[in-house]
Amino acid sequence: MSAPPPAGGSVPARALTYVDAERTLALRTDYERKETIFERPPELSSEDLGLVEHWQARGRPHRLPVGESVEGYGVFTFPYGPVTMGVPESGAFDIRTYGERVLELVPEVGYKSRRIASAVVGRVPADALLRVERFAGNFSASHAAAFLGAVEVANGIRVPEEELWTRALAQELQRVYNHVRLIARVAEAASQNVGLAQAHALAEESLRLMARTFGHRWAFGAFAPGNRFRRLGPDDRRALGERLRAYDREFASLWELFLGSRTFIDRIQSTALVSRADAIRWGAVGPTLRASGVAWDDRLRAPSPPYTDLFVPLAQGSEGDALARVLVREEEVRSSLLLVEQMLDRWTSVRGGEYVPRPPVEPGRGIVRLEAPSGDLVYDVRLADGRVAALGVRTPSQVNWPLFALGMRGAVFTDFHFALESFGLAFADTDG
Amino acid sequence: MSSWVERAWKKGIVTTSYPAEPATEEEAPPSGRAPQVADCSSFAAFAAAAESHCPTRAIGASGLDQGKCIRCSRCLPSGFRAAAELEAASGGRSSLLWIDGVPPKSTAAPAPLAPIGRSITVFLMDAGSCNACNLEVLALANPYYDAHRLGISFTNSPRHADVLVVVGVPTAGLVEPLKRTYEAMPSPKAVLAVGACAIDGGIFENTPGLDSTVRSVVPVDLFVSGCPPPPLAVLDGILRLAGRDRTRSGGSP
Amino acid sequence: MTNIAGVLLLVSVIGLFAGAPLAILSRRLGYAVTLVASGLLVATAILVLAYGPVTAISWSGVIAEPESMRLDGLSAFFALTAGIVWIGTSAFSLDYDHHDTPWLAVAYSLTLGSIAIVLTSTNFLVFLAGWEAMTLASYWMILEATGRPARTFSAAFVFLAFGEGSSLLVALAIAAFYSLSGGFAMTAITVAGPVTSLVFVAALLGFGLKMGIAPFHMSEWLPIAHSSAPSNASAVLSSTLTLAGVYGLFRLLTLLPEGPSWWGGLLLIIGAISALLGALFAAVSEHAKGLPAYSTIENNGLILVALGVALIARAEDVPTLFAFALFAAFFQALAHAVTKATLFLCAGYIERSTGTVDLNRVRGRPKGADAAASGAILVASLSLAAGPPLAGFVSEWMILEALFQSFRFSVPALQFLGLLAGAAVALAAGLVVVAMVKFLGFTVLWKPVATDRTPRRWGLSTPIAALATVIVALGVLSPWILQFLTPAASTFAGYSLTAPVSGLLAVPNGWSIVSGSPFGILSPPALAIALVLGLVPPLIYFAFGGPRKERPTPVWSSGRAPSAAEETYTSFGYSTGMRIMLRGLLGTREIRQRAGPAIAAEVATPEAYNVDLEVLDVFKVVYDSLVRAALWFADGLKRAVMPGRIGRYLAYILVIVLIVMVYTALAL
Repeated sequence: MSAPPPAGGSVPARALTYVDAERTLALRTDYERKETIFERPPELSSEDLGLVEHWQARGRPHRLPVGESVEGYGVFTFPYGPVTMGVPESGAFDIRTYGERVLELVPEVGYKSRRIASAVVGRVPADALLRVERFAGNFSASHAAAFLGAVEVANGIRVPEEELWTRALAQELQRVYNHVRLIARVAEAASQNVGLAQAHALAEESLRLMARTFGHRWAFGAFAPGNRFRRLGPDDRRALGERLRAYDREFASLWELFLGSRTFIDRIQSTALVSRADAIRWGAVGPTLRASGVAWDDRLRAPSPPYTDLFVPLAQGSEGDALARVLVREEEVRSSLLLVEQMLDRWTSVRGGEYVPRPPVEPGRGIVRLEAPSGDLVYDVRLADGRVAALGVRTPSQVNWPLFALGMRGAVFTDFHFALESFGLAFADTDG
Repeated sequence: MSSWVERAWKKGIVTTSYPAEPATEEEAPPSGRAPQVADCSSFAAFAAAAESHCPTRAIGASGLDQGKCIRCSRCLPSGFRAAAELEAASGGRSSLLWIDGVPPKSTAAPAPLAPIGRSITVFLMDAGSCNACNLEVLALANPYYDAHRLGISFTNSPRHADVLVVVGVPTAGLVEPLKRTYEAMPSPKAVLAVGACAIDGGIFENTPGLDSTVRSVVPVDLFVSGCPPPPLAVLDGILRLAGRDRTRSGGSP
Repeated sequence: MTNIAGVLLLVSVIGLFAGAPLAILSRRLGYAVTLVASGLLVATAILVLAYGPVTAISWSGVIAEPESMRLDGLSAFFALTAGIVWIGTSAFSLDYDHHDTPWLAVAYSLTLGSIAIVLTSTNFLVFLAGWEAMTLASYWMILEATGRPARTFSAAFVFLAFGEGSSLLVALAIAAFYSLSGGFAMTAITVAGPVTSLVFVAALLGFGLKMGIAPFHMSEWLPIAHSSAPSNASAVLSSTLTLAGVYGLFRLLTLLPEGPSWWGGLLLIIGAISALLGALFAAVSEHAKGLPAYSTIENNGLILVALGVALIARAEDVPTLFAFALFAAFFQALAHAVTKATLFLCAGYIERSTGTVDLNRVRGRPKGADAAASGAILVASLSLAAGPPLAGFVSEWMILEALFQSFRFSVPALQFLGLLAGAAVALAAGLVVVAMVKFLGFTVLWKPVATDRTPRRWGLSTPIAALATVIVALGVLSPWILQFLTPAASTFAGYSLTAPVSGLLAVPNGWSIVSGSPFGILSPPALAIALVLGLVPPLIYFAFGGPRKERPTPVWSSGRAPSAAEETYTSFGYSTGMRIMLRGLLGTREIRQRAGPAIAAEVATPEAYNVDLEVLDVFKVVYDSLVRAALWFADGLKRAVMPGRIGRYLAYILVIVLIVMVYTALAL
């Protein structure tokens, strides 16, 4: 299928490479040694260059360099997108097929590029944050937290621990929303319409929880640099805690029903397989990585407060199919609810505490990674005179597209939506 | 099988009674509604204080442009009261410009889909959004809003659509597809621009490389302001295109 | 009247042959003469069906056997069918044949003449001679493929090999027949015995080979699909050469005494399998000529099924069903020959106007192609897909109707067999719909390609349109056609039959086809009238300018530029679902090969692959391995026996001499 990993045994930087406005920086996770290495790679392998070119092409539609080229009698390209309601975002796919079966799928991204990385340059972090939040609305809490964290590292600012906890709370709520919505989307693809309505309703409820807690359904504007964040009063916390307990019960009983629904389970079992080797080699992140049997979660392996103080359950699968990915997400809904519960229990203990970020890799530069709902999100911010000088972002969607393309090889057309939804990819998150 | 029924029974009816009843705060939180000045007489003073905070220049001496406002609430300390009526969020482009912070007196919004009336098919096109608007529009299908009870359904092809709902700021790659999508729709048709980005670009206005607005590419009939607008605001916009909104029918669609 | 008919018959057969020498002078003259001769043959056949058998000439054969050129009810039916087809193909050839040499026209004329000999002979020796001439002449026709691609020779050779196999088996059947009747004349034998079964089986295999039925269906598809035989040749091969096989089988069954019911059972099994295989492969064929060729296998299978039901019904003594199934077989033979000829001519038209026979590349008729040919493609493929009220629909209905009545058999096994065959035939009918929708969809219904306008070719489209009209007429007028065919069925039965036609409800007498007494009823004329009447109100509405509720929009290709939509679904893709679903039956396998150098030289160059999804005719594999085994054996024998050493050869001579001496000594 694909070329063997390069000699030397190390994991190629490949998918973990991103390019900022000026230079290349690699972030490598060695899953075997459980280490994260920030480094400038001595030289890029030829394999990496394809992706480097890809990220340099940001701002216009382009095909991801993930494909094999397939020719043959009767083989043709089935163009899908960029405008289709089947995928409720704008992005395209070129499907090489001889009918029915997908021989090769090449995602075409960049349609939605709003040039955020260059639009924030020269702005103060507070104004930059408004754009960063809108990188991907459904992952806004993670983007905001990563950006703010990087700014704080770059500036060496001490952060009230309560603020970190509030950010984490927003992230976990958003994780719940995204995972539940993903389950709803899979149910929709499977025409499990009762389940769809139920899951859809639960997703809406999580949005309402977010609005009640943070004043905004998507947590836009909930945070700002400089200790200006939305503080949760004891009543807020009590109300949230009660609602979450009810939410947990309802989700658990809904999932019970889903597990018994063959129309739901059968369509995702063995669909879009991603092997452990492929997941590591292509640098998969998030639930996609964990569903393929790699125990890696930034909240555990590269934790920052409050996760350092909390019990973080690890959701892990082994099969690497769509079912495994959905199962991992289902467990993470529970674990997120558990995390929120822990946080609410111990909220008062952190009041007044301050967190001192570790020193930056170089002055004025902060790199932060955290576990967004779809996986490892990296922000690399450089500041000059209190303004953003350069921004590098590497989102989980950017990394996971090739895995989707890989998983779709040999699948049939009707697997498309099950596969796509199971990866939890977003074009907004990819293009920025 | 029976357990699904049991669950559905236990869950009960969660669907909103909008538009028969006004939207509750739960359904349309203040952050989703148009900001309004507490005291109209002193708008100039508030505008002067808030102008520098406003990241999208929605507040100016002449008035408050709801179409540009991204509801960031930075102007709140300057004396804005957060919540206007939900229905105040949508209208023609000019009716979104609140001179002196006051909503314009009942502007007769056009209802191009009045001939189609009771069954409206919606096609959602993402011209470059952050996904929040997409998800808010699609949330209309969930049991809490259930747009289908009002005859509104989503379609997967513009060829079957009556309303084109556009979200996001048109990016370089999507200007042409947006044009093609509009052309692929049969007449009579209407375009609903949803969210600040789709109106004037929102927070992305004046970003180099994002030179188009939705209305410079396709003729827009109605704008729904907000960042993102809550689902009911979008619903109101769609109903308004068909002449079935709350303000016109007095609450009973 | 008889005299006139006799003269007509003689003139027409001579005319068919006369086309050959005249074609050397001028191709068009040759085809014109065969056209006229075919017309005369049709006229003769009509006279015979209306007024009774006719003998043109009689003479005494080489071994003092009486021989004559004669048409009776049975052969008149086949002559009529063949004649109609030949009128169309000959007229088509006038404009179609653009070869540099006249040899295609010569071979064509000889093929037609020798088929006529087969149909008119009353002596098995002459029959066999005609049969052999027919095989050789059509072999020559296949060799005349345009441009002669390399595989033409091997394909034609396969055809010849199967043809000779057929001749051998037919000869065996005739020899067995001779042992019973003591002569080569076509006279009925009355004594039943095991040898009659031998005659039947040998005849079934021999004639079946020509019909292209399983397991010999390769003889049908391979020459046409692999050699791209000329379209007029393909039409003649697929419609009338296989028809000669049908005739042979019918003729022998007429002469043999009533057989046991397993004869019919055997026909039913072979027919149903052929129908299913043919339909299956038609559905996954991308070749504009291969697809109709596979469909021929299906249709000939259906003829055997109908005949099988008839034979079982006769053996089980259900005379009504016997008559109905027999009429179904005849009508199927007629409908198929005309329809298939039309479709092959259409394929020729497509080839001429688009320059390809690959449905993946045909991509719609060229702009400006005339409506007559498009309409003909529509009619012919709808008829093969059993669309009412066309000929193919009537025959398909009759055959299924006959199978439904297998409950009338007394033996449960036969009832069950009828059920199974019914299921197979119904499945085949469904698969053929897939095939025909593909043929129709990727040729006529596709958006016209904006390539350079091809000039209208009335010379090609007029004969096609005429044949298509015949298809419609056959379907709509089927009750009267059936009545007209009564002499043919009566000749087969040996006693006077009446056509299964009557009236019911408001439909006038003679307008409906009735199976059983009354089991199922269908009135194609009434159906046609109803269909036309249904069209009248909307036509009036539009004629008087009623408002059209249309909301026209341009083509939507999910937001991409229209040029991106150029590369569209291929006809291969259309049937890949079937290839994958039925991979067990079709032997589908994917062959994936790395294209180019193993290691991509360029940075980040994706790996290139060639993918082929192949379907496999299991029987071809068997034949191939048989051929390999034969070659291996011959090679081994050659090495063992003829090592090239003089000593061994001398030893052989010595042994032979010794054997001869010993034999002579013993004989003395």
